[in-house]
Amino acid sequence: MIPFEMVEPKSLKEALALLDPQESTVRAVAGGTALMLMMKAGVFTPTRLVCLHGIESEYARITVSAGELRIGAMATLSELERDANVAARLPVLKRAMRTLSNVRVRNVARVGGALAHGDPHLDLPPVLAALGARVSISGAGGDRELPLEQLYSGYYETVLAKDELITAVKIPAQAARKAAYMKVTARSADDWPALGVAVSFAFADGAIRDPIVVVSAATEKVTRMAAAEKVLHGAAPDDATLARAGDAAAAAAAILTDAHGSAAYKRELLRVYLRRAVREALGDGARPVRQ
Amino acid sequence: MNQVGRDIPRLEVRAKVTGRADYTHNLRLPGMLYGKVFRATVPHGRIRCIETGAARAVPGVQCVVTGEDIRKLIAEPYYGPAFHDQPILALDKVRHVGEPVAVVLASDPHVAEHAAQLIDAEYQELPAVYDEVAAMQPDIVVHDMLKPAGTFADLKHLKGRTGTNIALDFHLRRGDVDAALARAERVIEHTFKTQQCLHLAFEPFVAVADPGDGVLTIHTSNQTPSFVRTEIARLFGWPENRVRVKVPYLGGGFGAKVYVKLEALVSALALLVRRPVKIALTMEEQFYMITKHPTTFRIKSGVGKDGRVVARACEVYWNGGAYADIGPRVTQKSGFTAPGPYDIENINIDSYALYTNRTPAGALRGFGIPQLVWAYESHTDLIARELGIDPIDFRRKNILHQNRPQASGTPMTDAAIAKVLDAIAARLAWNKKLDRGSGTVRRGRGVAIGFKASISPTTSVAIVNVAADGSTTLYTSTVDMGQGSDTAFAQIAAEVLDFKAEDIRIVHPDTDVTPYDMGTLGSRSLFHMGNAVRLAAEDARAKLQALAAQAGLPEGTNYPPAEVFKKRFGMQAGNVIGAASFVPTYKSPDAQTGLSDNVTPFWMVGGAGAEVEVDTETGDVRVLRLVNAVDCGKPINPGVARTQLSGAAIMQLGFTLSEAMQLDAGQVTNASLADYKIPGIRDVPPMENELVEAEQHTGPFGAKGLGESGTFGVSPAIANAIHDAVGVRIMELPITAEVVFRALRAQQGRPLEDA
Repeated sequence: MIPFEMVEPKSLKEALALLDPQESTVRAVAGGTALMLMMKAGVFTPTRLVCLHGIESEYARITVSAGELRIGAMATLSELERDANVAARLPVLKRAMRTLSNVRVRNVARVGGALAHGDPHLDLPPVLAALGARVSISGAGGDRELPLEQLYSGYYETVLAKDELITAVKIPAQAARKAAYMKVTARSADDWPALGVAVSFAFADGAIRDPIVVVSAATEKVTRMAAAEKVLHGAAPDDATLARAGDAAAAAAAILTDAHGSAAYKRELLRVYLRRAVREALGDGARPVRQ
Repeated sequence: MNQVGRDIPRLEVRAKVTGRADYTHNLRLPGMLYGKVFRATVPHGRIRCIETGAARAVPGVQCVVTGEDIRKLIAEPYYGPAFHDQPILALDKVRHVGEPVAVVLASDPHVAEHAAQLIDAEYQELPAVYDEVAAMQPDIVVHDMLKPAGTFADLKHLKGRTGTNIALDFHLRRGDVDAALARAERVIEHTFKTQQCLHLAFEPFVAVADPGDGVLTIHTSNQTPSFVRTEIARLFGWPENRVRVKVPYLGGGFGAKVYVKLEALVSALALLVRRPVKIALTMEEQFYMITKHPTTFRIKSGVGKDGRVVARACEVYWNGGAYADIGPRVTQKSGFTAPGPYDIENINIDSYALYTNRTPAGALRGFGIPQLVWAYESHTDLIARELGIDPIDFRRKNILHQNRPQASGTPMTDAAIAKVLDAIAARLAWNKKLDRGSGTVRRGRGVAIGFKASISPTTSVAIVNVAADGSTTLYTSTVDMGQGSDTAFAQIAAEVLDFKAEDIRIVHPDTDVTPYDMGTLGSRSLFHMGNAVRLAAEDARAKLQALAAQAGLPEGTNYPPAEVFKKRFGMQAGNVIGAASFVPTYKSPDAQTGLSDNVTPFWMVGGAGAEVEVDTETGDVRVLRLVNAVDCGKPINPGVARTQLSGAAIMQLGFTLSEAMQLDAGQVTNASLADYKIPGIRDVPPMENELVEAEQHTGPFGAKGLGESGTFGVSPAIANAIHDAVGVRIMELPITAEVVFRALRAQQGRPLEDA
């Protein structure tokens, strides 16, 4: 390992000032679980790491106001997993944590890092995107807010400037919306997923309303499936509708071939798991994924 | 108290769970340098130049060493157990991606690592061969000339051979296969394949060499300390007593750490710089050291009207990678079991060890047997299906019974094959109907049995030292790598000497101190070293009795040893050394027919039964139940034996369902634990592990080895169960969900199209 500078600012403002708008070897580190692996593998060699552990504690809080859940970017995944508000309001998020890496990683990894990393195989981005989450971003030039799925611009790529940081995720009140996340691993239970499918929707009078369908892992970035959402909106979740939604998603998703499986196979998985995700959200006792 | 058969916890368990156990990784010597290996980036090429200037210029770098530097120290720097084909660092040519080309030495391992990234090598790229069947043709030749080690008589004819990739061809001829096939009612033929996978011990390879003053000391994570001593002495042209090899606990071996791995390299480096040198590989570097043979197995059987197999022809191609390692022995010593545990009169076996431009392949928990069982037990199931016979009945009809000659001609003595099959059938309640599921979830079940010969001829020597207070120390060069050999040997010695096993201390391999052992491999230790320990303990007991007689005590006295010593020497003084060698008899296979009536000192038998559930929409296979059964003779420690069985089965489960080294133009594309998936705890199915009642009459207290037996049946039992569940047959490992899905779609007449 080549020596580098490690700085520990005491405030968000100070942290932002220590980042460099031009230099990609200067990076913020939150939990460091992903960054350390990249450094160990030699794919990232920092000149300066800006450690965020010392910034104001409000950035690690999970709060509710006016029905909206706000997750500070420095909250650990374990804190998210154990939070009473999350458990009560977003059971899908709590459930997703059980198969998200392992307890040692969850104790250290931070929500902001998990979002900013840009790895399409991670579990939080699709689940949060399906819940209609927005990310709050601070930078030297000011603050901005984005729908979560708009954070991603490509494989391991985000729209964040080099001197911007995610400060929070905001999830709107879900009311009676139903949600599910299907993590499909192709080789071993603790493998990176071959496919992630997250859905949420309102359900009234036997019909799906305002669905959000998100695909991850099989695509180069977390992607909303507008065509499938269109099929589902206003329709009853019967076999024919779910099959058409699956076909629409399979046709639209830019699925890649990799070590987890061929694009052709993952497209078939998408058809099946989109249906299963909707059924799971409805509590129809769909067959759970291998886990 | 009976010490043999006691279920005591492993003696080292407390030291291991509290983190106090000694491992080579923890060793630091004064003045020690760390080496980082620079590896080949092309699969096959002539070395044009190696640019080391930038690495040398890094502050803190002691030096950069290449193959040419090694050649100045050792004129012929090639090693290997069967062929002297592997250079300590690449010379003239590189033969696989990841082959060591140069080493940076520095006091700081991070400096060495950084500097190694600055080395650049240029190659004249050569066409490469990766497939074992393609390598049968001499179009692309990996080695210009074959260089057998000379220690094996059956390799001598290969010396100096050029223009070939065949490192060994083994042939066995029994009866008249062609005539029997011509007469047979049905002739059924299949081809099965296995993938390249690897051991992935959680302690990666590590070795430290200390040049010393006249005696070179090697501290290493290695399963064969005696061999390392012999081979390093040969390389330097020294007597063996100038090389000392010390081995503490191993964090897993599984056949990876046999013979010479890093030891020649650290030794040469230490002698070049006259300082201790340590090289510790990363998990990722293990993908370039040693692997399990990919295979292609063509198997053809003739079956009579009565459902008896009358003839079987086996052609097995072993993909040995760039260096032979122990592959030629796999080819022969496992090759002769290729027809399976069946009583077949007419047999042909043709087994070929091939060089290719892949990471070398060697021994991996089963020494080739799991690849063979995969083919012959899948084939056996398919024949039973084609004949409409229940697969267990079909096996019973053809099984080799006690004392019947196996293909080689050696009788199957103390091999409880039928009992293992019966135990699996009983556990699975085979005579009861299975709930076959419905809709998109279908269930099925399958069985498979296999067997293995022990490596032969080999020698083990043990020393038992009874001190004047009666406390006893056992000296062996067996390596305890988690299999529990320390505990088993303590139980054997304690049984003979009437002590408590927990009170016996074991000295770990140190070739200056512990006597010769061929190696901890092939499930041989409990039988070979176990017998040596028993004999050494008996020798000590006899000497204690002689001492008692000298002290004037009556014959058969029950005076404890401490009292005997005191009476004899007048104080707490003296000691008694019991020593023994054990080497079973052996007859080499006939050069023409491949036959021998004494090819192994004992047989290992193992089998598995699986119940699986297939998701017909995704191809996902869940193992609902895995039954493992073995004949391990009379177990010395049943608890440890069962954990060996489950450990082997879980390892083979990974090779069955998920593990595969992916290769793209010779490059391993998934050389990490993130991308090469071994089973995790949530992948382990409900398992039942059964030790069938048996006895190895020539074994220590009726016991024999079982470290590998749990691997034999797992893969074909699962493939057979999948076939039973959904009617598709998988012919190649691993059986991923996608593989099953594609087979299901093909079965439905709408194969999955890749856009």
